Amino acid sequence: MAPGMFKRIYNFLMSLFWSKELDVTMIGLQNAGKTSLLRVLAGGEFTIDSIPTVGFNMKRVQQGHVTLKCWDIGGQPRFRTMWERYCRGVNAIVFIVDSADREAIPVAKEELHDLLSKPSMEGIALLVLGNKSDIPDHLDVDQLIEQLNLKLIDHREVSCFGISAKEETNLDAVMKWLIARANK
Amino acid sequence: MSFNKKDEDDAGIVKVDRTSVFQEARVFNTSPISPRKCRILLTKIALLLFTGESFPTNEATSLFFGISKLFQNKDASLRQMVYLIIKELSKEAEDVIMVTSSIMKDTAAVGTGELYRANAIRALCRIIDASTVGAIERNIKTAIVDKNPSVSSAALVSSYHLLPIARDIVRRWQSETQEAASSNKSGGSLMSGFMGQHAHMAATSTNYMTQYHAIGLLYQMRSHDRMALVKMVQQYSAAGVVKSPAARVMLVRLAAKLAEDEPSGLRKPMMKLLDDWLRDKSEMVNFEAAKAICSMPDLTDAEVGQAIHVLQLFLTSPRAVTKFAAIRILHQFASFKPDAVRQCNPDIEALISNTNRSIATFAITTLLKTGNEASVDRLMKQISTFMSDITDEFKVTVVEAIRTLCLKFPSKQAGMLQFLSGVLRDEGGYEFKRSVVESIFDLIKFVPESKEDALAHLCEFIEDCEFTKLAVRILHLLGLEGPRTAQPTKYIRYIYNRVVLENAIVRAAAVTALAKFGVGQKDPDVKSSVEVLLRRCLDDMDDEVRDRAALNLRLMKDKDDEEVGKFVRNDSMFSLPILEDQLAHYVNGSSAEAFAKPFDFSNVPVVTREQSLAEDRTKKLTTATPTLKAPTISGPKKAEAGAAAADAARDSAAASQKYAQALAAIPEFKDFGPLLKSSGVVELTESETEYVVSAVKHLFRGHIVLQFDVKNTIADYVLTDVGVVSTPSAGEDGEEASGLDDGFFIPIPALKAEEPGTVYVYFQRPAGETFTAASFTNVLKFTIKEIDPTTNEPEESGYEDEYQVEDLELTGADYILPAFAGNFSSIWESLDGADEAEETLQLSAARSIQEAVELLVKQLAMQPLEGTEVSLSTSTHALKLFGRSVAGGKVAGNVRMAYSAKSGVTVKVEVRSEEEGLAALVVGAVA
Repeated sequence: MAPGMFKRIYNFLMSLFWSKELDVTMIGLQNAGKTSLLRVLAGGEFTIDSIPTVGFNMKRVQQGHVTLKCWDIGGQPRFRTMWERYCRGVNAIVFIVDSADREAIPVAKEELHDLLSKPSMEGIALLVLGNKSDIPDHLDVDQLIEQLNLKLIDHREVSCFGISAKEETNLDAVMKWLIARANK
Repeated sequence: MSFNKKDEDDAGIVKVDRTSVFQEARVFNTSPISPRKCRILLTKIALLLFTGESFPTNEATSLFFGISKLFQNKDASLRQMVYLIIKELSKEAEDVIMVTSSIMKDTAAVGTGELYRANAIRALCRIIDASTVGAIERNIKTAIVDKNPSVSSAALVSSYHLLPIARDIVRRWQSETQEAASSNKSGGSLMSGFMGQHAHMAATSTNYMTQYHAIGLLYQMRSHDRMALVKMVQQYSAAGVVKSPAARVMLVRLAAKLAEDEPSGLRKPMMKLLDDWLRDKSEMVNFEAAKAICSMPDLTDAEVGQAIHVLQLFLTSPRAVTKFAAIRILHQFASFKPDAVRQCNPDIEALISNTNRSIATFAITTLLKTGNEASVDRLMKQISTFMSDITDEFKVTVVEAIRTLCLKFPSKQAGMLQFLSGVLRDEGGYEFKRSVVESIFDLIKFVPESKEDALAHLCEFIEDCEFTKLAVRILHLLGLEGPRTAQPTKYIRYIYNRVVLENAIVRAAAVTALAKFGVGQKDPDVKSSVEVLLRRCLDDMDDEVRDRAALNLRLMKDKDDEEVGKFVRNDSMFSLPILEDQLAHYVNGSSAEAFAKPFDFSNVPVVTREQSLAEDRTKKLTTATPTLKAPTISGPKKAEAGAAAADAARDSAAASQKYAQALAAIPEFKDFGPLLKSSGVVELTESETEYVVSAVKHLFRGHIVLQFDVKNTIADYVLTDVGVVSTPSAGEDGEEASGLDDGFFIPIPALKAEEPGTVYVYFQRPAGETFTAASFTNVLKFTIKEIDPTTNEPEESGYEDEYQVEDLELTGADYILPAFAGNFSSIWESLDGADEAEETLQLSAARSIQEAVELLVKQLAMQPLEGTEVSLSTSTHALKLFGRSVAGGKVAGNVRMAYSAKSGVTVKVEVRSEEEGLAALVVGAVA
């Protein structure tokens, strides 16, 4: 009983002075690597045989004083209409694309612009991640910006990184970017 | 759980309404989440949902998504609550599939998550869709064999619910399920979740509920495979294998079902198992086994003996509920086999004075059924002593029992009438009084000897009757029966008293009743006094009463007594069930134009009073026979025999009405006139053949129509131009031709697989002869075409084929409708010298007298009279039958039968008929 009490008081004080909570929604077409990325970000192992997400997954990622509440939403077409519901009022939207799947890029572009055009999405920061940079024939960041037409998106902060969840490349940059949201 | 107590302190719980709860749902979105607040709000939602409130789809959906945010919280009891609400909201909300992944993660939770794992599994099966069942396969399989019983149970129950949507996947879990069924996990109380079963589990610490769930699931998985089911029942029936009594009850039901479904091969081994279960150490199982045995069709006394013995032992149990269960089963069984129950009579007698009135009532009514004529009087006396202590509801049960008894033992009518009139004077509500009055009505109708006394009792009753409805009915009956008695004047006094003393409704009824004594009255004295009385009624202050009096005075003056008498007595009437049905249709017509045409009475068949009485009586006797059946495991597939008979009585009118409508819609049959009779459905093939054919015979004045219902059971083929060639041939007696012209048939243009279609074949009935018997050989003719799997269209060319089905017999019984009469011998005498035929033969199909009686009643299509449908002796019996031919002539049958163990049932059938040639045909129908 007693240690629990202390912990609660400690947590309460922490939340009062330093700790910050951020809501982050991760979306993208199916098989872009959202669930895998989230697992790696939360400190787990990369697994190759994850099953398609039905609905959403929720994970907390702790980094210093900042807690990221990450909502990983399924990318199959039947869940795309529900992205908006989970993107409303969050601190950042992370849009993940499979940079090695060139054929899927136009669909991803369409879905992304569709979502961001909704009034409830106004002003929410966007981070576009080109996943699977470990595969040889992938698009680099400039090509992604070009092909996803990211220049067209305004009135919000937009960044675009190339990453690999499998090889854990460039994930520090992603974390840094997300934590920076806490200070806005 | 602890939070329940906390919530009671919360004042908010009392004034929970939907809108405010919906407003409060913001609390789900706060950060950080407060588990306590959320739990209180979830409890409120639960309260609303469980007290009948429902959320509209949009509110449910947004609540649902609010709640889905709570998955981030680690508080175990909050999570349990979340699952409970998700289960409930999943019925209303949209896009519930969104939480699948999150719940899936919880179904494999460990550590503190263990606490809500069972809840997660149960919620998962509510929201998942068929395409994702495969993804949870591994989780569920592990959960089924989990060492924690509540997780295992949850997984089994969920699989049970998933089976219909993903049969193939769930079937793959058989070996896990089997493991769960034979494992001996005791139902611990680690998590007394929110579900009913769980709370129950918590109450009794070791009840092996998992086994019950596992066996239920195994049954569903194997329900298509009878051999597997048999193996399963035998495997688990061994002593000690299944520890859960509930699971054993399930096995009992399963065994009973198997025995019933396949009497030839399985009845013996299953009966042996049931017998073993009678000695089970759990009472629940004993009762179920006894009940299953008692409801087995065609029981022999030897088979049921042990079950009755066990029930008899329970009758002396100190626990009231045990006694009640036992007497209830015996009570119901006594309706079919009073002889078998009779040995318990001493024990049942001891229960008559039981302080529990439910037990006492069942005891008495059981004794009434098992008792022979001699004991009836004593029982009646016993009942009268305690009638005043029981509630109206039980009084009605007792009166119903006596009513059936009256019909069964007409000779006991005096004592019963005494009893009925006695209770009629007692205090009681409308329902009770009504049942007594109706019983007396039945006595008057069906037991002619009681008429005078019964009428006298009724007259006395209306002198002081507070129920207008009953007074009106009794007055109507007095009007009907009174004039035909020896001393009509006696009743006139009672009736006129009503005119003086009662309200307008009763006065009007009394005037009509009075008039029936006057119209067609031969005695001038009586006639003139009725006239005087009616004339006084002309000054009544109520319009209706005056109008009726005036009308009847006018009718009495009419010279043509015959005509007027017919009008007043109203001997033939509309078939009431059909009239009701048609009126309901008419009134429910949706558009205004439905009412543009007046209601067409010509569609309603007119039946004679005798016919309607016959139907009425059959219905009363069969509905008074209660059904005895556990709720079947696979839904209400087979109704119990008694219920089926009652349904049949009710449905037969509706069925012939349906046929008449269908036939009238076919242009070829337009000018055949009204449908005289439709037979029951005759199966012409086995139910597993490629083409399933059944037939119904319809009789018109000048034609016979055979209706063949054909079903093609081969997928991928279409039958086109389906016709039936029916060739009539004469009966066995060697007449040259049956007199029927060659038939014409109306084919089915195309018949797809599993879609029923109907071919009609019609024949001209021979002009001179009224009745013909014939045997039709039937050949199905069609062109068979394969369906192209790519286009789903039938291919162009096919080949012609034929398919021989069984012969259809047209017998004398097809010309007869059952009719009722109070006295058989007078009819039999009156038909002396009429057309007569007799035959003696052995009924190989019947194994007892009672079976033979049922068989003959069905085959001859006539009404059994004077209670002879119940055989009182097992060795000899006389069955008296009466009916009318479709042409209206009387037909009576007198069947004497004898039973010996060596030769089975031997019957001598004698039939007399008003019309020439029919008697021989009717006798020919018995084969």
